[in-house]
Amino acid sequence: MAELLASGGTPEMVRAVLENGADAVYVGAKGWSRRRAQYEMDDDQIVASASYAREAGKVLRVAFNTLPASREIPLLLAKAEKFLAAGVRDFILTDVGAMAALSRRFPVAQIHASVGCTIVNAQDARFYKEAGASQIVAECRMDREEMRRIKEEAGVGLEVLVHATTCYTLLGRCTMSSYTRQEWRIDGEGKNHFLGSPNRGGLCYRICLTEWDRIAEDGTAEARGVVLPNVAYFLVDDIPALIDLGVDTIKIQGREYSVSLVGEMVRFYRELIDAYVKDRPSFAMEPWKERMAGIVSARDAERREKTAGLISESLTGS
Amino acid sequence: MAATELIASLASPREREATDLGPYDAVCLGSPYCRRVRGNFAEELPRLPETVAGLRAAGKNVYVTSPAAPRGRDLPHVERLIDAVAAAGAQALEVHNMGVLRILREKGNPLPAHMGAFANVYTHLTAQVLREYGVARVRPNAEVSLQEMEILSREGGVEVEVLVHGKIPLGVTERCSLLTEGEEASPSCPSACEETHWLTTRQWVLKTVGKGILSGRDMCMLEHLPRLLSAGFTVFKVEGLHETAAYRSEIGRVYREALDLATSGKPYEIRPEWADVLRRHSREGFCNGYYFGKSGRFYVGAVLQESKPKV
Repeated sequence: MAELLASGGTPEMVRAVLENGADAVYVGAKGWSRRRAQYEMDDDQIVASASYAREAGKVLRVAFNTLPASREIPLLLAKAEKFLAAGVRDFILTDVGAMAALSRRFPVAQIHASVGCTIVNAQDARFYKEAGASQIVAECRMDREEMRRIKEEAGVGLEVLVHATTCYTLLGRCTMSSYTRQEWRIDGEGKNHFLGSPNRGGLCYRICLTEWDRIAEDGTAEARGVVLPNVAYFLVDDIPALIDLGVDTIKIQGREYSVSLVGEMVRFYRELIDAYVKDRPSFAMEPWKERMAGIVSARDAERREKTAGLISESLTGS
Repeated sequence: MAATELIASLASPREREATDLGPYDAVCLGSPYCRRVRGNFAEELPRLPETVAGLRAAGKNVYVTSPAAPRGRDLPHVERLIDAVAAAGAQALEVHNMGVLRILREKGNPLPAHMGAFANVYTHLTAQVLREYGVARVRPNAEVSLQEMEILSREGGVEVEVLVHGKIPLGVTERCSLLTEGEEASPSCPSACEETHWLTTRQWVLKTVGKGILSGRDMCMLEHLPRLLSAGFTVFKVEGLHETAAYRSEIGRVYREALDLATSGKPYEIRPEWADVLRRHSREGFCNGYYFGKSGRFYVGAVLQESKPKV
């Protein structure tokens, strides 16, 4: 039975997603995950949330999935040790070296290779398994055939994002944001938050989502108001197939959304998964799609507002 | 001082033609962005033996790139590519994807790997892991600073390739920004990316090559060459993909002369004619901010600092 994993941007969100039916929740350690600090948690909040999850019989995963500087890896290991002592066992990482170091130092740690690893083929999945990961996140647009191959060939858990923010570029292979604006900001623990780099600090200014003019070499406009191809990403229709395929974790992103919206999203996916598993032959998708439309529209409204804010924030720094 | 290596990247015979490779010690062949680039050396394998032999005979080191993000359906081609590159006598395969690296190891490492710009190598510990897979050289992610690159090189036990000039690869995608319809159906493919296209909005300018997003400004480290050399870096790349033959030829000559001067023991200074060449080939000005911990589009330096208001 696939695990339903949801986002925990705040302790309130952790409680909301678990109460609404998530089996597991992921949270970001401050400065260490692919979201800006306001959607990450400090260590005490993480330890308390982990304890809440454990008492509910559920799992809390800590995301350390930014790509650090070499000198920051000891900080990561020290933080992991602290969380392990508090009973947290599950971590999400991107940096291959950090992954190898963590699995060597703490063999009990369960490591998932993050969406930031941009895992696009079964050989990729096998590489990350060798680096210490027990589960890998499929690149957002991976087709089912590739997923099937990973399940059959790689011998590693497979996690699929079904409700995510995608990028024009391959997620994890883009530095457009930090090209326009990047600031190094070191926190009290010595961690650089690399503001403006989604890979390194989590904050992305989403400049790809603005409209562009395409100009030829001689300066003439070839096209105005070009939107780089990037469609919102919901795999509701695919959930039955993903379950049949034996996907280990179905993940919903959303740390930056309101607690009420995230709670509603989790409840929706929980009920959908349960309904399908309960009676696969007579399951019908249509009513679920109608309900989903309402969630998507609320989500898009929150997202549009955030994107506009991020783009203007990028401009103010230059 | 250790010998330096100046590398040019070339996607296809079309880019090879009319490019003066005299200033360069090495060539990296092929485009990692798109398998449909016309004449892509990393795609049209029968071309490799003669091309590699010709360049080797001219005294060049020859490397061949591989697709930046191959799906499973592309892996049979990757297998053939590795065999062909090794058989042709190239000295390394440029690798952007860990799956490709793993296949190279499964084949018994017939040639070393150089990790490319999209491999996301940020730390010395990652370099150490990659070394076990046959990696000899690493091009760190664009965001990695010079200081971090020194650590990566020293403690990772790998050579570090430094991008010294050209457009910074910023992103790679599977959806061509130059086509409005599918690749197979589009009459514009593969000719669209043979022309130059810029994306502009607000105060930003980027260059698009279809499936690759590049910086609008040119990375320029000319005035920092002595610092790079004293930090121990010896491998320098000029990004020549999707540029003109004159760009590759003339910028190569500038960096060759500059490297010769910087390693001669004589005082180093930017010659006005060098600056003229670089400016002539730079539509949007220069940048190098990532190396100094700033926004990638910023330029840090005292000599070539003036640049256009747009980035």
